[in-house]
Order: sequence, then C-alpha cells, then structure tokens
Amino acid sequence: MRSVKLTVGISDMKVSSEKNDVIVTYSLGSCIGLSLYDPVVQVGGIVHCMLPLSKIDPARAAAMPLMFTDTGSSRLIEAILQQGARTPRLIAKVAGAAKLLDNGTTFNIGARNQVVLRKVLWKNKILIAKEETGGTRARTMSLYLDTGRTILRSGGQEYEL
Amino acid sequence: MEERPLPVTTRADVLRKLDEIPALPMAATAVLRLAEDPRTGIGEIMKAIEYDPGLTSDILRLANTAYFAGPRKIASLRDAGVLFGTQRIVELVLASSIFPITQKPLVGYDLPAGELTRHAMALAIGAECIAEMLDRPAPTHTFTSALLADIGKVILGTFLAVDAAPILSLALERNLSFEVAEREILGIDHAEAGAALLDQWNLPSGIIEVVRWHHNPEELTGDRYVVDLVNVAMHLTVGCGIGVGIDGLNYRPCQSSVDRLGLDQLQLEQATCDMLVAFRDIELQLPGHRDGADDGV
Repeated sequence: MRSVKLTVGISDMKVSSEKNDVIVTYSLGSCIGLSLYDPVVQVGGIVHCMLPLSKIDPARAAAMPLMFTDTGSSRLIEAILQQGARTPRLIAKVAGAAKLLDNGTTFNIGARNQVVLRKVLWKNKILIAKEETGGTRARTMSLYLDTGRTILRSGGQEYEL
Repeated sequence: MEERPLPVTTRADVLRKLDEIPALPMAATAVLRLAEDPRTGIGEIMKAIEYDPGLTSDILRLANTAYFAGPRKIASLRDAGVLFGTQRIVELVLASSIFPITQKPLVGYDLPAGELTRHAMALAIGAECIAEMLDRPAPTHTFTSALLADIGKVILGTFLAVDAAPILSLALERNLSFEVAEREILGIDHAEAGAALLDQWNLPSGIIEVVRWHHNPEELTGDRYVVDLVNVAMHLTVGCGIGVGIDGLNYRPCQSSVDRLGLDQLQLEQATCDMLVAFRDIELQLPGHRDGADDGV
C-alpha cells in the first residue's frame, strides 16, 4: 500500500493512526519539532512550534496555539491521547532549536524553545527518548507511523534519531 | 600559511554567468520604467501589466491575501490599482516577476524548488512587519529590497551549482558567517552577485545598495534604516527555517542594526509572530507551495 505523506508546516501539527502515513516537518531552524509515538496503538504526531511562550500575544495564541511551544506541545499531547495513546508509553523525540552565530541573547529563540518544551514534557510526565538540538543546522524530521522510527535530514545527510 | 585547493569557481566565473540569468519579463521592465516617472498615472501602469496575463493572474493571487487586501475581495487589476496605489502595484509586479527565477531548486545550496521564493516573500513581509511594529513607516523601497536581498543565491546556487560543502566547512571551521566564507572561497558572496544582477536589470540604486550590504549594514553610507530592517528580517526568516539549505543558520546578525532599530528580544519574537501570521496566508498563493501538499511518498 502506498504511504501517505502528511506535511506539518510552521505552527502546525499532524496526528495519525494510519500505519502507512509518514508525518514530515521541514526545515526546523530555531523552531522546535516534537514527535510523539505510542508503539502499542501505533498513534503518532509531530508539532512544529516557532516561538517559546504564548503570553507574548494572547490573542494570537488563542487563534494559533500551535505557533507557541507551550501551547503547541500541550495541544499535541492532548490530541495524541485522544486517539488512544497513553502517557507512559509515549516515545518523545525532539529536534530543532538551532541558533544563529554569536547571537548572544537577542536572537536566542531556539534555546528558549527548548527550555519551554522540557518544562511542558516534565509537567506531563513524558521523558525525552532522543533529541538533537542546537548548532547551526536546519533539520527536517519525519515520523513513520508503522514503526515509530524518526528520521532526521540535515546538511545533506539522513539518519535515525 | 595554510594551503587551500584552487577554487573551481571564481569571482570572474560568477560575474560571467550574469548574462545567463533570464531578464525580467517585459511587462515588469516597462512598469519599473513607468514608475520612475512621477507623472505616470496608475492607469498607464495597469495597461503595461495587462499585456502579460500570467503576471496579472499572479498579482491578483497575491493581492487577494489578507496581508495586502485585508477582508476585501479584489476582482480585477483595476481594483488592485485603486486600492493599493502605484507603489504596492510595482512591488507586486516585481514579486510575481521573480517567481520563475527563484522557483527553481538551488542545487548548490541544497534548497528545494520554491524555497527561495518563500524566503524572499517572508523576508519582504518581515521587514515591513518590523517597521509597522516600530511605528516607523517603511521607506518605499523596503519591500522590494528585502524581496531581492538573496537573489544572488540564484546565480551561485543554480547557474553555477557551486559546491557549497567547502564553503560550509570553512564557515564551521573558522566560525565565519556563510557569506564571509563564500567570499573566501569564491572571491564573491551572494550579496555582491545579487547586486550585480540587479544592476544589470537596471533597478534603482537604492534597492541595489541595500541588497549589496544586507549582510554588512555598516558598509552602507547614508541612512541605514532599510538595510537594518532587511538585516534583522533576514535573520528572523532564517531562524524560522524559511529558505534555509546547507548554509543552515550560519549567519551573524548585525547587532548594530538591532540597536539602531531599538529592538529587544520580545519585540523580535513579536515581529516573528506578525511575519508568520501574514506569511501563512501568502504562502498558499505562491507557486507550488509545499505546506498542505500532502501526497504519496
């Protein structure tokens, strides 16, 4: 059966329980990509968030919660649990949070995204199984629903996270 | 002194390739020429555009996005002209005219088809969003300067398919911004190549200067407001991963630009938020947009 690609844009998420689906999010820069997968029910999803905290713009956050790491990652957790996944079985993988050169604190969005995501996952009792964050490389993350393997493509190379 | 292999591509090779880049469509050239004359009426500009149905259709698609038109529906080019005025129409003409050039994959930069178009549009919107947030009107050449800032990557990435791997290695090894490594390896960077192309297209000097110095605003003499907007917007766009290939986030923001604009971290995040909201809508109207294109793999 032909596999189906579900593309996750910036400030977007996709959740699926179809074994042939592949969820892909392209070019994570300072953004953070969170992949969650329950291997028992084979439900998984990816969210791609750009900015750390929704409190900078509550009106926008209400309309576009997936733009922010705090509200976006919470939405993914809720959505995946609604499809039958269970928290103790969730395999969480994280990619992105890259940084510009010598950015000091002004352009430090990536590191702040990472801190906020860790807090959300900790509050929800979800451990991070694997992560590749920081550095200056953009990353594309794919989640295969049949096995839960998470593939990163970065700098012209492809490898499993 | 460390020895390096001779580069395959040189500055002279890059500049020779300029002749192979397609010219702007005739309608765009005509519109630009007409717009230079303040006595030109919007009607004459509309007439020049209408000769090119493809251009007209692209302009209307962009014009009907919330960023440009708000809740209004623009049914015709004439409606767009009345609503936007000459300046915005010229910007939309240029944006639509470069699509065929920026739409190709940039092999050298490992950028898929359409990604430079997305980058150019996000950057142009980003520069305007920063100006809007600061409540300081963006000068008339802001949108177009930002839109064309990285057009030089077409020359290096498509027509020469420069092997960016050694450039990246040098950038990483010496903690150099990518365009500095381009200059070290090729003798020219994408900003200078882009400015040379725009000069060949006879674009106004104000735009060419911003494109030339968008990575080095300190080198530009005179008012730096536009180049500062473009520099900061460029880094916000790259931070969002829009138009990022093998060069990654290996770019160094100009702190003087951030300081001159008086931006703090929260304002940068707010500007990013504004840019992404506007871009979400516009992106759907760009040729071959990727998001939402769920299909077989």
